[in-house]
Amino acid sequence: MAKNYTIDDWNKQAEKELREKKLSDLKWETPEGIMVKPLYTKEDLEGLEHTDGFPGLPPFTRGPRATMYSNRPWTIRQYAGFSTASESNRFYKEGLKNGVMGLSVAFDLATHRGYDSDHPRVVADVGNAGVAIDSIEDMKVLFEGIPLNKMSVSMTMNGAVLPVLGSFIAAGIEQGCSKSELTGTIQNDILKEFMVRNTYIYPPQPSMRIVADIIEFTSREMPKFNSISISGYHMQEAGANQVQELAYTLADGLEYVKIALDRGLNIDDFAPRLSFFWSIGMNFFMEVAKMRAARFMWSEMIKNFNPKNMKSLALRTHCQTSGVSLTEQDAYNNVVRTTVEAMAAVFGGTQSLHTNSFDEALALPTSFSARIARNTQLILAEETGITNVIDPLAGSYYVENLTSNIIKEAKKLMKEVEDVGGMVKAIELGIPKMRIEESSAKKQARVDSKEETIVGVNKYQPNEQQDINILSIDNEQARKEQVAKLDILKKNRDLSKVNNSLAKLISAAENNNSNLLELSIEASLNRCTIGEITEALEKVFDRHKPSSKTISGVYANSVKSSDMLSGVKKEIEIFKNKFGRRPRILVVKMGQDGHDRGSKLIATAFADLGFDVDIGPLFQTPEEAAKQAVENDVHIIGVSTLAAGHKTLVPILMKELKKLDAESIKVICGGVIPPNDYPFLEEIGVTKVFGPGTSIPDAALEIIKLL
Amino acid sequence: MLLKDYLQLNKISSKQFSRILKVSEISISRYINGNRIPNKRILRAIFKETNGFVSANDFLINDIKNIELNNKDKDDIRKLVREITLGSIKSLAKAITLVESSNLLDQKKSDFLISILPKKNNTIRIGISGVPGVGKSTFIESLGLYLLQENFKVAVLAVDPSSQKTGGSILGDKTRMERLSIKKNAYIRPSPSQGHLGGVTKSTRETINCAEAAGFDVVFVETMGVGQAETAVHSMVDIFLVLLLPSGGDDLQGIKKGIIELADLLVVNKADGSLLSTAKVTVNDYKNAISIINSARDSWKPKVEMCSSINHEGIANIWNRISGFIKERKKRKYFLENRINQNKNWMWDLVDQKIKNFIEKDIKNNQISYEIEKKLSNNKLNSINAANEILGIYLKNFK
Repeated sequence: MAKNYTIDDWNKQAEKELREKKLSDLKWETPEGIMVKPLYTKEDLEGLEHTDGFPGLPPFTRGPRATMYSNRPWTIRQYAGFSTASESNRFYKEGLKNGVMGLSVAFDLATHRGYDSDHPRVVADVGNAGVAIDSIEDMKVLFEGIPLNKMSVSMTMNGAVLPVLGSFIAAGIEQGCSKSELTGTIQNDILKEFMVRNTYIYPPQPSMRIVADIIEFTSREMPKFNSISISGYHMQEAGANQVQELAYTLADGLEYVKIALDRGLNIDDFAPRLSFFWSIGMNFFMEVAKMRAARFMWSEMIKNFNPKNMKSLALRTHCQTSGVSLTEQDAYNNVVRTTVEAMAAVFGGTQSLHTNSFDEALALPTSFSARIARNTQLILAEETGITNVIDPLAGSYYVENLTSNIIKEAKKLMKEVEDVGGMVKAIELGIPKMRIEESSAKKQARVDSKEETIVGVNKYQPNEQQDINILSIDNEQARKEQVAKLDILKKNRDLSKVNNSLAKLISAAENNNSNLLELSIEASLNRCTIGEITEALEKVFDRHKPSSKTISGVYANSVKSSDMLSGVKKEIEIFKNKFGRRPRILVVKMGQDGHDRGSKLIATAFADLGFDVDIGPLFQTPEEAAKQAVENDVHIIGVSTLAAGHKTLVPILMKELKKLDAESIKVICGGVIPPNDYPFLEEIGVTKVFGPGTSIPDAALEIIKLL
Repeated sequence: MLLKDYLQLNKISSKQFSRILKVSEISISRYINGNRIPNKRILRAIFKETNGFVSANDFLINDIKNIELNNKDKDDIRKLVREITLGSIKSLAKAITLVESSNLLDQKKSDFLISILPKKNNTIRIGISGVPGVGKSTFIESLGLYLLQENFKVAVLAVDPSSQKTGGSILGDKTRMERLSIKKNAYIRPSPSQGHLGGVTKSTRETINCAEAAGFDVVFVETMGVGQAETAVHSMVDIFLVLLLPSGGDDLQGIKKGIIELADLLVVNKADGSLLSTAKVTVNDYKNAISIINSARDSWKPKVEMCSSINHEGIANIWNRISGFIKERKKRKYFLENRINQNKNWMWDLVDQKIKNFIEKDIKNNQISYEIEKKLSNNKLNSINAANEILGIYLKNFK
């Protein structure tokens, strides 16, 4: 033991163990392009700028609070919404009895896009993926028996943020609370909607004005309410790597700070009420490092605005385990994945956490799966002792070095954004969206070529299909109930007050002279519906139409083994010789669900495999999809569905095709579809259903065979 | 290529090949002589073994060249044409697929279809060009929506590039013209370029004819916005529009002078918001520029206009210019003359195309050519003499 060994001694020893391989073979290039060595030592800590400091003090790398979990663990906040307000209310109350500490409301797609439940475009969307809210009356039912002056409520709402937040505040007022007592968070992060999630309503400019109105109003009237939750979550879900998630989210944050300052607000008026939202995936140490890097960078960024209040510099965040890491195959594995991800969020120092239920790759959680998800957090918080020490990974040679590398890489991306004139401009140019789609295509290529392992999907597949009980939702029933409630509301309100409120909103939108949130609260109190408020503003702002760009070549270039591709190419050549053209597929995304990662990925990968790929616009109706398929004379329609719309929309599509005498066009479905629904879809004439995790070349081969 | 040629080229005997395919030698010689067409499984095997050089078409090629369409085929196509003229979108879509097909039998059908399709001269064919990002789709959508209000029926033929590497393509034009695409009297058909250069497909003219026969009275031909596309499109339309971006003062935005010369109407798009004043400057710049340029058309000085497609401003004015141009051309009888020229260009393009196909499919794969290539490899012939020799064999009067 007397000898002091050096790194050279280790090198020799390691190479001996490796025999033929070299030490450099053990290096790992992460998807972010960071080179990770097999061993880190004290020297890797030298010269790192972020490592000093204490939790609760700038630059907050080690945590936004001084005592962190040693005093009180993170808030268990489970995101949920079930079709109708009364059902969701029941679920919330059950959660509160069993350890949940804060509510998080998921709204249905119709509400997100500002349509009332009786609007013809949303037949399939009402009650899907969340709760349908049409007015203050639904809001009151949603929180019946839950005192809003005591309960912190988080709401994932961006598009229809004015009427939804307006009716929430109005419901609070009618419960007898004062505005200043309301606590919680509104997501209100419109920039990332234009990048990845697509649940916007108005074009970017007026949308940013709405954000500013909300920051202004809440900073004045609702000091305990987080005016915005700057979200990287949906970026990672859409395929972004961790550095992209970090850089683009911080860049979004900077834009919000700027518009609030432009409004004449003081940085300390609103910066302490800004919160963040990360996705936590399976790359454990990368996630921990990302969260620490984010706090350091945000603190550095805000320092430039000379805040007086230290709290302005502290980044507080909510985390959710990654939905895209869940698999349909071998679904119980998801419990383990979620546990690992939850641990990363905790080691990263999150303030609140949502853990996914293992069946969420298939459907909304059942009460059984929701219970396991909650308990995952309770076990971490109360059985492991993890909470006793603050920021326990600090000082780890690897984690600190990784943190520093992430900071460097993220700064490069932020520079790219800055060089084109900030995030709004970059989004208009489509830069972040393009970068994220590239990442997404690369990731799929790694999985398809088994370079990246997913247990139970591309390796170690189970021999038998497991039966999993999943929750099925009667969307038609929910819609009927909502429509009936709307009728009652409209009969019992004072129409002159309604019209007056809406006229005020229109005039404020036109003249930019009063706060739109304030007027939305008034309109909600006067029983204007979500749809009416949205439509009034739409008259002035218009509805945003996205321009859709699709990348090409990235998937093919990222597939390391070309055998996989050449098999498909050969089949396509044979097809082409026979039919005089390539197989032509129309990829459609019907309904109000804007998550287009899946459909974009299919489109670009299929084109790379040699298909001619038509893309349908977002938010298409089945009628429009059928028309497009016939006009373009495609062989096959690929329906991408994530939000349970398949049960309503696909039957309509089949009917429309029949009407157009185009039943020869085959229909296939892919996305989040519970296996129990497969027989139903096949019965109505769908040729084939592909579950998540299907390898794209395999799917392509199967499709060519079908034609 | 033909199986015979492939085997000869790679010095594989029919005996060897029969072992590889696990079929009798007699069968192989029947395939080679064209006495029998291999079944699907064997076709696939041959395709695989020859790395795609010998495909199904290579066994049909001789038959089809000599085959005339039978009566049923002709009746089917007559029916298709009837339905097109009655306005069936589905039949129009099928007809376009047919004229775009690379299948030899389809091409025969397509020739017949075009020959019986009613021709219309009361339509307007508009070519649209401009650099990527200038807003071609938004412009067409805005103008298209305006024309629908004026009771026109509008067809848009858009070409998206096929990947040179993979052959596949992404056809996203409907997402770029979403509002127009859902209208009843609008028809948007994106087509893959399939390796055809020039910003159009090999069958854009045929497609125009089909759309017109289906009652669409304004047909837009949108180019991919690459260099050589403009000449090709110019030769198949009645009026050629070039879209421009507002840009202050610099010289003609790097747009080639040749393209401006082709334009009948220059439109500065995106004349809105902060770019409005720049757009006005750009209009003046181009007015000055074109005053010293020779127009491609007789007696017509190109005009420069501006519009905001996104705000639908200036669109009616653009239409007035277009219809004014057409009226003027008709009055002076240039309109029909131009259509006749379009047909002449079409003819020569077809001659060109068919010779190219002939070279690719027949000459290059022929035994004689292999012999000449061999001589070239052995330095017994130089390239020039070799080329002349090949041409002398195939073209009787070639000197």
